[in-house]
Amino acid sequence: MKKTIAIVFLLVSSNIFSILEIEILKGSDNLSKIAFVPFGVEDDIDEDYGIQISNLIEKNMLLFAEFENLDKSEMLSYPAKEEDFFYRDWKVQGVDFSLIGKINSLNALGNLNISYSLFNVNRRIKILEGEINGNEEDIDRISKIISNRVYEKITGLKGIFDTKLAYVINSDSNTYQMCISDIDGQNEKVLFTSKSPIMSPDWSPDRKKIAYVSFENGFAEIFIQDLISGKREAIQALGMTNSAPVWSPDGKKLALVVSFSGNPDIFSYSINSKRLIRLTDHYAIDTEPSWSPDSKKIIFTSDRSGGPQLYEINTQTKRKKRLTKDGNYNARGKYFPDGRSIFFVHGNNGNFQIATKKLSSRFIETLTSTSLDESPTISPNGNIIIYATKDGANGYLGGITLDGKSRFSLPVKNGSVREPAWSPLAN
Amino acid sequence: MEPIGIFILAMVCQLYSCASNVSDSVDQMSYASVAGEEYLQGEKIVTNLEDKVYFDFDKAILDAKDKGLIDEYLPFIEEAKIVRLEGHCDERGTREYNLALGERRALEVRDYLIVKGISGKKIRVVSFGEEKPLKRASNEKAWSENRRVEISLY
Repeated sequence: MKKTIAIVFLLVSSNIFSILEIEILKGSDNLSKIAFVPFGVEDDIDEDYGIQISNLIEKNMLLFAEFENLDKSEMLSYPAKEEDFFYRDWKVQGVDFSLIGKINSLNALGNLNISYSLFNVNRRIKILEGEINGNEEDIDRISKIISNRVYEKITGLKGIFDTKLAYVINSDSNTYQMCISDIDGQNEKVLFTSKSPIMSPDWSPDRKKIAYVSFENGFAEIFIQDLISGKREAIQALGMTNSAPVWSPDGKKLALVVSFSGNPDIFSYSINSKRLIRLTDHYAIDTEPSWSPDSKKIIFTSDRSGGPQLYEINTQTKRKKRLTKDGNYNARGKYFPDGRSIFFVHGNNGNFQIATKKLSSRFIETLTSTSLDESPTISPNGNIIIYATKDGANGYLGGITLDGKSRFSLPVKNGSVREPAWSPLAN
Repeated sequence: MEPIGIFILAMVCQLYSCASNVSDSVDQMSYASVAGEEYLQGEKIVTNLEDKVYFDFDKAILDAKDKGLIDEYLPFIEEAKIVRLEGHCDERGTREYNLALGERRALEVRDYLIVKGISGKKIRVVSFGEEKPLKRASNEKAWSENRRVEISLY
């Protein structure tokens, strides 16, 4: 009966698996234009290093098609210091923001000081100034920190360049891999490989663990895997099928689905005490739970009305409320980070698309335009949704900004990718 | 139901798995035993019968034709030690909901078998949702073949 599995896997980091790469499909015509000026360097630092760091920041900032850039070859000057920066050089090129920087060597060990400034060209003011000390080998990390600060200053939203993505790769009909990578597709790690399906990954709030469903023992079971040790543990829910795990915002509980005698209901499972508390009790299908950001509510899918619709339950009072009415298929709902809106899969006339709805409004707004869209996951800043969709027999990931202005895709070279789960921000 | 209640129910089911008034418990036992897949060690019984029952989108209802198909199994099921019912869905809609729907389809077949006098104790139910399609294409024909319950005897 006891089947807790504790196998230590080495987290295999392998560049040959690095197959997710974001392709921009459509940027809007009126995106802000940013000039990423090559950073100046001190005499003993290679000039290429200054270009490289500027290129990395540029690549990050353009990742989700939210901005456009000014090509370095078109720049009229390469200022590294504020006194060399002239607004007119950028204004004539239609640039809205310009980022400059300078790299100083601190010692012979490769320790660097990197200072940078961001200018609003239209308003003719410096809007951001900062510096970072780090080793020259940390160029990716340094670039991400600067990218986050620049992004936050321009958009007013949290930068998401050090977030990660979990996803399932199905390279052939008998190989399933639970993977994570940086949000730009770099540093892919395979957490677990199986001959049986894997689904429903979800990040713990501290980003140290992932819960997911694996069929490795012939039926759906929830596993929690530690990302540092690689250790996996099955959740013991009295030996029955269980599915759809999602972490509570405090990381102490999982909402999950247990099917007693073929009647799936929502439960809250305490990770430390292993206590299971029933939240729904209905003969219909209740599944796909997800917590509100304040932990007070759980959204879920139920076909109690005859087809799948979204409901929410107050975890204290157990009071339930139906959230969707329009359309015959509304499922796998999740709350926005601000808790005021939800996003979900909306079926309409045989098309399944990602849609959003303000909790205060009855109107459903469809966001995507392909027909087999599912498994939406939102960026921690609430601005971008990545979802799974299909092109022929192969699944790939699509992405779209919430204003619908920018679209991108994350295809794989071989097989299908599905079940994306966006990590929380790093603490 | 409070957790303690679930626990007691589980204990009861292990002690009295044949008690007819706690039918839930029988199901729990059959779910639990899926874990070992012990029946897969046994030899699969070849029947030459159609081993799949098909369903409409987002439905788990057997029509007269499906029931007729299942009826042909009954003499073989008498002989079999285990009946495995594997529920599946097409790719449309969401994965977790489909996992539940596949289970519901398999249970629909199970319930019909029980009505026909087959002991629930020899029936094993499992759902793969939309995870194991027979046909990978995205069209009506592939979808209709993927919405199925597969019957196998051991």
